[in-house]
Amino acid sequence: MIIGLVTLVLKSFASGLQIQLIALLYLLPVLVCTLFWGLTSGILAGLLSFLAFNFYFIPPYLTLAVHQSQDVITLVVFLIVAVVVSQLIGQARQAEKLARKREWEATRMYELISALAGLTDTQIIIQTLAQKIIETFDFDQVEIIANEQVNGKPVSFCLSKLEVQKKKSDLTLSMFTARNTEGEIRLWLDQNALSLEETRLLAAFSSQGAMAIERVHLMQRENIARILEESDRVKTSLLNSVSHELRSPLAAIKASASSLRSGAVDWNTDAREELITTIDEETDSLNLLVGNLLDMSRIEAGALKPMKRWNSILEIVKGVEAKMRSQLAQHPVEYVFPGNFPLIPTDYVLMGQVFTNLFSNSVKYAPPASHIVVTAETNEGSALIKVINQSPAVAEEHLEHIFDKFYRVTEADKITGTGLGLSICKGIIEAHGGKIWAENQPEGFSFNISLPLTLDGELPKIPKDETDG
Amino acid sequence: MDRDPLILLIDDEPQILRALKTILSAGHFQVISAVNGEQGIALAVSQSPDVIILDLSLPDMDGIQVCEQIREWSAIPIIVLSVRDSERDKVAALDKGADDYLTKPFSIDELMARIRVALRHSAQSIGNKETVITAGALSIDLARHIATLNGDEIKLTATEFKLLSYLAAHADRVLTHQAILTHVWGFEESDHIEYLRVFIGQLRKKIEIDPDNPQVLVTDPGVGYRFRTVD
Repeated sequence: MIIGLVTLVLKSFASGLQIQLIALLYLLPVLVCTLFWGLTSGILAGLLSFLAFNFYFIPPYLTLAVHQSQDVITLVVFLIVAVVVSQLIGQARQAEKLARKREWEATRMYELISALAGLTDTQIIIQTLAQKIIETFDFDQVEIIANEQVNGKPVSFCLSKLEVQKKKSDLTLSMFTARNTEGEIRLWLDQNALSLEETRLLAAFSSQGAMAIERVHLMQRENIARILEESDRVKTSLLNSVSHELRSPLAAIKASASSLRSGAVDWNTDAREELITTIDEETDSLNLLVGNLLDMSRIEAGALKPMKRWNSILEIVKGVEAKMRSQLAQHPVEYVFPGNFPLIPTDYVLMGQVFTNLFSNSVKYAPPASHIVVTAETNEGSALIKVINQSPAVAEEHLEHIFDKFYRVTEADKITGTGLGLSICKGIIEAHGGKIWAENQPEGFSFNISLPLTLDGELPKIPKDETDG
Repeated sequence: MDRDPLILLIDDEPQILRALKTILSAGHFQVISAVNGEQGIALAVSQSPDVIILDLSLPDMDGIQVCEQIREWSAIPIIVLSVRDSERDKVAALDKGADDYLTKPFSIDELMARIRVALRHSAQSIGNKETVITAGALSIDLARHIATLNGDEIKLTATEFKLLSYLAAHADRVLTHQAILTHVWGFEESDHIEYLRVFIGQLRKKIEIDPDNPQVLVTDPGVGYRFRTVD
């Protein structure tokens, strides 16, 4: 059609033009055809131009016959030039198309790789991969099933544009790396079959996904190894500290009991009374230690389930104070509780242990004859309880660590204890859904506890006052 | 009583048996012992002891089962001695018929006091019940519904008196939260412990010398309350 048009135009204007110029002009439609419709149509256009040129512009006109040898040469040269030009242009176009395609593939790959980079969760990785596959290939449905299992079910993700689920996938790719198979991709294609390039790109996608999942697994393994190493270190330090703590009271008990038995001590002296008191007190401290160890292991195992009931914190703390009377002899405890301080859902016994440990810690570090103040207030839906003692300020960098297991601000030899007390407090408070932290005060140091005021979202149902009588 | 009270020890740990036998014999009790549940139940049947001291961890059965089986035919006071210190275990044992609960390690004074309370209660259930219970300056007349402190009558609401008299009637024994809620308010299987906290708090203000440091209405952490007449 274009040839016809050009012929018409040339016919009307070209009467004055030389034959060579007309030949050149006929190359134009050949170029246009090659550019827009490719090599084949270019060559076809060349042949048609050749025929039209011959038919209309070379004498004798309106026949395909050629008389002058000069015209024959012109025609042959025209044909050769038309074919060669259309071929060259066609090749250049194809190369460009291919380059575009490559660039597009590379861009998609780059997008996928940067989307997957840094992901540390298999579920998110396969979600990202499925989204990228749908974006890139426009399939009907993608389902990715990883070999990793969570709660007995394989990690999987399905992304679908279909309203009605088709049963069988059209294509299944397994996701493998050099070492492992990490899962498989199931695809529901739209009508068209995949081209070679698409297949290649899809394979690259799948292997990128597999590598990302493998990376997650390797990281997890490395983490586990690190945790094991850490827990090993903790165990060793626990064993050291515990054997020291267990042996000291045992040594005192053994010494007292054996000296009583040997008769070296007169039965009716104060010394005897002293030895018996030692045995009694050291047994208590052993019992406390065993209790702390048990609590620690319950907290570690996640087996610490507080029996939360409506309790008066003041009653709990006063109970602890009464029990620790001899230890607290040098440290009078004062209470600043508002009269209407509510009941707090807590485990009586566990909260008792928290205050026992906080008091015992205060006694260790506070100067003799200094007061311990326990305050309570309600604040924005939670209870805030503070145990304030007059121990020296603790450097800021230690404050957040003093609730860690075995963390000590002072050297271990100088103070007795396992370094477990405060970490147990933290475990117990956190099991209550609360927080515990330490803070330097203008004069001294405070342990702060915040606890929720509600139990299962409810406040206590306080019975109505009865009239006296 | 014309003979020394007979105590049955059911415990499989020889060290504890040895220590308790020595101490209790010195305290004018007759002592027999069993090292497992089956033997313990057999001895309870054949010897009719006055008090049973029971360990919960036995080789052949759980101590709570022993408790249940003995309760099927007898009201012999049972004091549980156990290393299990969780409130759940304590409440379970008390609900299954144990009269009291002590956690190992325990002090002998404490055990002796509990044995005396158990003997007193079993004596009462046979003979006449005491109707006036005193604890220090406090005196409660169960028959006349009057409580006095240093001779002055204390004004109590109906619920407060019901609560106080229930605790006093079981003086020196621990009563679980649930037992009190059921008896005083009629709450079955419900956890309205806040009622108890509020009423105990009110009662303490009326009967304790220092309500913040109660000497009579004593909390048994996580388990219940005890009306204490002896120190």
